[in-house]
Amino acid sequence: MQLVSDSGKLLDADLHNNIQSIREALGHSPDLIVREMVLADQWGVALLFINGLADRTMIQTSVLKSLTNLGALKPEQESSFRDAPLIYLKEKALTVGDIGYVNGIDSLFTHLLSGDAILLLDGYREGLRIGVTGREDRTVGEPTSQPSIRGPMDAFTENIQTNISLIRRRIKDPQLWLEIHPIGTITKTSVAIMYQKNIVSGQILQEVRTRLDAIDIDSILESGYIEEFIQDKTATPFPTVYNSERPDTIVAGILEGKVAIIIDGTPFVLLVPALFVHFLQTPEDYYQRSDISTLIRMIRFMSFLIVLLAPSFYIAITTFHQEMLPTNLLLNLAAQREGVPFPAFIEALMMEIVYEILREAGIRMPRTVGQAVSIVGTLVIGQSAVEAGIISAAMVIIVSITAISSYVIPANTMSISVRMIRFVLMGLAASFGLFGILVGVIILVLHLNTLRSFGVPYLSPLAPFNLDAQKDSLFRLPWPAMRNRPKMYNRKNPVRQSRK
Amino acid sequence: MKRITGGILAAVMILVLLTGCWSRRELNELGIVSGIAIDKSDDQYHLSVQVVIPDQVNGRMGKQDTPVAVYKTVAPTLFEAFRKLTETSPRKIYTAHIRTLVLSEEVARDGIAKVIDILVRNPETRPDYYVLIARDVSAENILKVLTPLEKIPAEALFYSLDTSNKVWAPVAAVTVDTLIDQLMTTGMSPVLPGISLLENDSRDTKSEDMRHIDHPVKLGYSGMAVFRNDKLIGWMTKDEGKGYNYIRNTVSSTAGHLKCPDGKYISLEIIRSHTEMKSRLEAGKPVIEISAKVESNIGELECSLNINDPMVLEQLQAAGEQDLENLMRQSVEAVQRRYKVDVFGFGQVIYNAYPKLWKKLEPQWNDEFPHLKVVYKVDAHIRNTGMITNSIERRMKEK
Repeated sequence: MQLVSDSGKLLDADLHNNIQSIREALGHSPDLIVREMVLADQWGVALLFINGLADRTMIQTSVLKSLTNLGALKPEQESSFRDAPLIYLKEKALTVGDIGYVNGIDSLFTHLLSGDAILLLDGYREGLRIGVTGREDRTVGEPTSQPSIRGPMDAFTENIQTNISLIRRRIKDPQLWLEIHPIGTITKTSVAIMYQKNIVSGQILQEVRTRLDAIDIDSILESGYIEEFIQDKTATPFPTVYNSERPDTIVAGILEGKVAIIIDGTPFVLLVPALFVHFLQTPEDYYQRSDISTLIRMIRFMSFLIVLLAPSFYIAITTFHQEMLPTNLLLNLAAQREGVPFPAFIEALMMEIVYEILREAGIRMPRTVGQAVSIVGTLVIGQSAVEAGIISAAMVIIVSITAISSYVIPANTMSISVRMIRFVLMGLAASFGLFGILVGVIILVLHLNTLRSFGVPYLSPLAPFNLDAQKDSLFRLPWPAMRNRPKMYNRKNPVRQSRK
Repeated sequence: MKRITGGILAAVMILVLLTGCWSRRELNELGIVSGIAIDKSDDQYHLSVQVVIPDQVNGRMGKQDTPVAVYKTVAPTLFEAFRKLTETSPRKIYTAHIRTLVLSEEVARDGIAKVIDILVRNPETRPDYYVLIARDVSAENILKVLTPLEKIPAEALFYSLDTSNKVWAPVAAVTVDTLIDQLMTTGMSPVLPGISLLENDSRDTKSEDMRHIDHPVKLGYSGMAVFRNDKLIGWMTKDEGKGYNYIRNTVSSTAGHLKCPDGKYISLEIIRSHTEMKSRLEAGKPVIEISAKVESNIGELECSLNINDPMVLEQLQAAGEQDLENLMRQSVEAVQRRYKVDVFGFGQVIYNAYPKLWKKLEPQWNDEFPHLKVVYKVDAHIRNTGMITNSIERRMKEK
C-alpha cells in the first residue's frame, strides 16, 4: 500500500545516523521499538516498529525468524545474499506478503506510523517496509444506528481494511474497483472510493475524485468531515450525501452505480449521489415482500409529513381556522385549553424544545443514569404539565406523535433536518395560519428542486419524473419487475436482469 | 451580496413580525356559540345566543354547572346586536359552529331573508346548521331548555332533527344552505320545521332538572312552517308534512300503519322510498305527475291476517299504495286550498321541462298553482316480514 510518494529528505547511508534521526524526530518516544541485529556476522540491521501498531506475533514469526535463519544459509544462497542483501531480503528471505522499498524520511514515517515495520540495512540509503500492521480493533458487530429485523447483521468497523473486505466479500467481481486517496496533512487518513467499474457513471466518478482531491485540511477524523467538503451545496438543511454503517446498504448502492467513500477510523461509509427518496428507504425494504415494503414506505412518507407538519397544523387550525374543526372536536380542544396560560404557539414551542432537550440528554447521558432521566421526562411532560394546566393534553399528544414519527425516518441526518424545518413552519403557522404553512411548503419544495447531489437532481425520480424509477421510490415493486437499475444516475449499463 | 441578503432578511422579519398573528384567536378566547335565537318586537331584534362552556361539556373536572349559558341583547340590527353582546359576554362571540338557528314566528312572518343575510355573509360560519321556527313560544325560550343525553341543547335539537329526518317522515330538516337554495329557486317556496316546548312553559330550567328521568320541559317538533317567498303564512299538520316529505323525496325511512279488516293495525317500516316528479302538458296546461316507489317491511302485526298468503300481501300492498296516494293528495290539496303557495317545487319541475311555458306562467304562478292538476302513481312493495311470519295472536289460535 503506497500511501505517500517519496519526497524531501532521504535516508542516510549510516545506520546509526538514521536511527538517531528517527528517534529524534519522534521525540525519543518510548513506543518506538528499535531492534538492532547483525546478519551473517557482517551486516548491521535495525528493525523499527511502533509498539501497539505492528503485530508482534507477525514480527516474531515472519521477520525475526527469517532474519535469524540467514545465519544458516547454503553457500549459493549466501553469495546471492551478499551480492544484494536488500533484494535478497525482500524477495527470498522475509515471509511477509506486503513488502516494499522505502528511501525517503517522510514515507518512512508514514509507514512506520501506519503500523509497518521498517528494516534498515547499514550502508544502504534504502530500507524495507514490512506490512505487519496489526493494531487492536473492534470486531465486526451489529449495526446499532440502523438496526433491522431481517437482513445481514454485520456492520462496518473503524478499520478501513475490514470495511473494504466486508464489501469485497459481497461482490466477487473484478470490476469492483478501489482507489485510495490519503487526505489530511497531519492525519494522512486513508480515504477509499469503491465503485463497480462497468456500472458507475464516469462523470459522477470523476466528480467524486475531483472533490476529494480538492480537500485541504490537516485532519479527517470522521466521514462527516468529508461529507461537508464534498456536498453540492452547503446552505441547505437537507443531506445530499448518504451514510450507512451497513455493508449491505453500501453494496446495494455500489451495484446501482453509486460511489462508496470509505474513511479509515469510522464505521460510517458515505454513498453518493444521494437522493431525497433514499433517506426514506431502508435495506430491509428489499428483503421483505414487496407489498409489505410498499406499505411501510408509505408509513414512512406519512411520518415524514407528520414530523414536518403536525405541530404547525395544530397551531394553525386551533388559532386561525377553528371553523374547520368538527364541532365536537372543537369543544373537546377548547375544554382542554381552558386555563392554559400560553398561546398555542408558545405551548407547542415549549413542548417541542423540552422534547428535543430530553432527546439530546437521552443520547449523551451515561447509560447508568438513563432511567432517571426517562422517568423525570415522562412524568414532567406527560403528566405534571397537563395536570398543572400549563400545557393542554392535546398538545402533548401532538408533540408525542411528532417525536415518535421522527424515529420512523430511517436516516438520522434526514430526521434532524426535518425536525429543524418543523420549527420554521411552526413560526409561519403561528403568524399566518394555514396560509403560512402553504407558503412555507412551497418554498421548501422549490428549495428541494434546486438541490443536486453530484449533479443528479435531488428530487428525482419524482421531479424530474421518471416512470421506470417509480418502481423503487414510493413503491417497491417485486424484484422480478425491477429489470433496470435506477436511470437517474445510471445511463451506462442500466439493465439489471438481461434475460427475458 | 451581503446587502441583498440583509434586505431579504429584513423584509421577511418585517412581514412576519408586523403582520403576524393577524386575526389570531386562541381557543380559550372564544365564546363558541351553539345556537342562536332571534325574536322581534317593536322593530327591535332580540338576539339570544347559547354559548358553550367547554369545561362543563368536556372537562374532566366539575360538570356540576350548566353546560351552556345564554346571552341576550336588543338592537335595531342584528349586526349591532352581535357586537353589543360583548357588553355582557366576556369572550368574543364566535358563530362558526352554530348548530341550530331558531326564529320566532314574528320574525318569520316578517321575512327570514334579511335575518339570514348576516349569518350567511359571515365567511367563518359553517352553512350546515338547521333553521327552526319556534311555534307558540319565543325563540329565546327554546334555547333555555336543558336537555339530557346531548349536553348542549342546540346540539340536541340538531341531532334529534337529524335523526328524525332519517327515520321519521313527518319531520324535514332544512340546513341554511338548502333554505337559501329554496328561497332563490324560482317556482318554489321553502318549508321549515317548527319547534315548541312540550308539557309546561317554564321560563328557564335549572340544572337540578337534569336529575329527573322524565324532564318537566322538553323540546318537540311540531308541524312544518309554510312560507310564501320568505314570509311565514301558516303551518302544515303532521300528515301534510309527511305527504310533503314523500313528494320532495326526502324520506329515507319511516314508519306507517294500515288498518286490517278487523280494525286492528299493521305497521309498516318504510325502508326505501323514491319519488320523481315529472311534468307533461294536457290541453296546453301543465300537469304534474308524481311517481313514488316505496319498499317496506312489516314491522308489527296486531291482526290475524295470514301473511303467508301472497294474495293477502298483494292486498296489503294495494292498500299501502292507496294510503300513500291519499297522504300526498291531501297534502297537496291542503296546501293548494289553504296557502296557495308552491312549496313542492312544481313550478321548478315545469320550468325544467317547459322553460318557455314557465316564462308565461311565472308572473301569475301563485294564482295558477291552486288549480294545478296533480296525478299520482304509487308503487309499493312489501319485502320482508321480519323474524316471524303470522302474528303471535293468530298462531296462538291455530294451536
